[in-house]
Amino acid sequence: MQGRRGILKALVAAVAAAVAGPFAATRAYAADRLTVIGHAVHKAAATTGAGGDVTAPWRAKQGVEVEWLTFGVEAANERAFKEASLAEGSADIVFILDRYTGPQFAGLFEDLRAWQANDPIPDFAEIPAGMLAAHTFGGKLTAIPFRHATHGLHYNTEFFAEKGVTEPPKTVVEAVALAEKLTFKRADGVQVYGLVMNFDDPATPIDWIRAFGGDFITADYKVVIDQPAAMRGVTALVDLYKKGVLPKNSMNLKTEDVTTFMQQGRAAMTNNPFNRYINYNDPKASKYPGKIAVVALPLGVDGKATPAKTSVWAMAIPRNGRNKERAWSFVKLLSQPDSTIAETLNGNGPVRPSAYEDAKVKALIPYAAAEKQALASARLVVPGFPNSAKAMDIFIEELGNAMLGTKDPQTAMSDVKKRVQPLLPA
Amino acid sequence: MGMVDAARVLSRPRAPTAGRVKDRRSARLVHYAMLCPTLVLLLAFLVLPAIYVGWLSFNTSTYGQDSTFVGLANYAQLFADRIFWRAFWNTFFVVNGIVYVELLLALGLALLLSGPVPGKAIIIAVVLAPYAITESSGIVMWRYMFEPDIGLVSHILGGLGLGQLDWSTNPVETLLLASTIAIWHHLPFTFLILYAALTTVPRDVLEASEIDGATRWQQFRLITLRLIMPAVLIAVLFRYIFAIRTFAEVWLLTEGGPARLSEVLAIYLYREMFKYHQFGMASATGCFMLVMSLVIAWPYLRRMYCEVMRSA
Repeated sequence: MQGRRGILKALVAAVAAAVAGPFAATRAYAADRLTVIGHAVHKAAATTGAGGDVTAPWRAKQGVEVEWLTFGVEAANERAFKEASLAEGSADIVFILDRYTGPQFAGLFEDLRAWQANDPIPDFAEIPAGMLAAHTFGGKLTAIPFRHATHGLHYNTEFFAEKGVTEPPKTVVEAVALAEKLTFKRADGVQVYGLVMNFDDPATPIDWIRAFGGDFITADYKVVIDQPAAMRGVTALVDLYKKGVLPKNSMNLKTEDVTTFMQQGRAAMTNNPFNRYINYNDPKASKYPGKIAVVALPLGVDGKATPAKTSVWAMAIPRNGRNKERAWSFVKLLSQPDSTIAETLNGNGPVRPSAYEDAKVKALIPYAAAEKQALASARLVVPGFPNSAKAMDIFIEELGNAMLGTKDPQTAMSDVKKRVQPLLPA
Repeated sequence: MGMVDAARVLSRPRAPTAGRVKDRRSARLVHYAMLCPTLVLLLAFLVLPAIYVGWLSFNTSTYGQDSTFVGLANYAQLFADRIFWRAFWNTFFVVNGIVYVELLLALGLALLLSGPVPGKAIIIAVVLAPYAITESSGIVMWRYMFEPDIGLVSHILGGLGLGQLDWSTNPVETLLLASTIAIWHHLPFTFLILYAALTTVPRDVLEASEIDGATRWQQFRLITLRLIMPAVLIAVLFRYIFAIRTFAEVWLLTEGGPARLSEVLAIYLYREMFKYHQFGMASATGCFMLVMSLVIAWPYLRRMYCEVMRSA
């Protein structure tokens, strides 16, 4: 009897240990490590390239290693919120993109105003107010901007020369006409599209809609996509699609697909972040290295600079983080003016305009002046609010209906307004 | 056993009744202890999470906020969403297409290969090969073969004057391609089950039926099919359950686009959970899919249960 009871007790204990063991092991906090969740571009900007490893002196002084956990754009944000929601987190710093955050997540992160007041980042006032506002909710600064991705117009200079075009389009009307002209078949039979865009989020179509004087959601949360100005932009895009100037599978294209199109010479123009210049001209992957140039977006129909789409990645400290002082020290390191220049040389989009004035940046990055110019008038895709992800999906869905012809453009955009209006803050 | 032995057994002094009961109870404790590890794992990783998800479906919940009980509001919102119903019908047609086409193909291949076929081993290896490829790699490979303008298959179809499969803009063709990829990838699973079942069909029964003048079709319909029916039911049941979860094929092709026209239930759930962070809605969708699986599986489970009871 005792033997059987002993076996039973031992079995239960073994099962409990087997189940609890792995969990017990993961709960041990690594005091000699700083864990950062973000995208590969953040790690690359901070550690690799012509600017060198910005983090090396800090790591040596602190005696800690930095563990970078990198994911895709959506997955990085998802992981950030998940870690920050736990009772006890294992991430010290998380990178968040403006279009994924919102006031509903503000409670997950430290209010960095207090940290800035106690141990300030040098020349903090240089960081544009708009970028700070993208991560400020209810007066609480949830993250410090690190990187911007602002759109410019990339174009294949070889195709331009072939068609007798000597300079990029100056206005959006010219750009539309040029896109039609630059849709042709290459000598080897490959179809070249005058314009290629990714439709995995509204960023690229929004540029064109804004160039025509329209918008999707204004800063004060009004849906204006069904208004005449926006409809001119939407109709222009639908026409380009119907004429075959945009690829037939445009609605399935993601950023990586657009990169492939430009590298393979299957598209003449695209509006994408300035720093894609490096990918499009990569001699290891592109068939047109050094032949893809980038300028600011063409002027709008009103003759003014088109407000290019920008997005802002920022560094947040989860409230459940275990070493917030160290985390703030790292955030401060990456935000300093000299670090920002080094990161720019590593391919980052700097949040400090002064980085563009640096001689090394000007020498290494040919588009620095154009990017600075575009940044001056750039805007977020949509203002931050809890249901912004759903609103953007609705816009892309209805734009897809308009492009496919299942709805006429005005009906589609009116449906956008009808469906998005209830999602906006009261 | 002789009368004398029986008498000897019957007259043997028996252990006291209380002792026998105690022994049986102790034996049962040991049995339960042996089952403990599996039961604990099932409880921890299946039952408790399922109960939690069920509870969550009656709440609104997102990151950084406490759950709020809303009763059936999530389900009401779900059933009022036309995109949900579009995803439901897409899933319905895709699942049925996948299951029955795959079943027919697998049965045909299994019947063919159960007879004398030259190079049988190589053919079987070729049939099984897709299962060795990771799902995402296979789907991306298919996608680029069918890429408009530059895909190999698109090029061949265009050269033959057959046009192109318009999977990037036509949701019907998207789901057709997704179903084809799913069948290609999972055919080995169904084939193996049916092939193994066919090898257990007794040859002498078939020979006897041949002697009695049965045609090949009669042999198949009245003998082979009946004998392998339990295996067919298992294959259908498993494929239904896996097919309802179809996600990767559609996601990697079009992400449910264009305009969410080719969306299936698994993608709808994914969007609610990972894009919109609406855990309550995602849980409600998951519970609906669970009920849908049970409704589909019930007739097959019942039939299998009856077969088992009949044979017992």
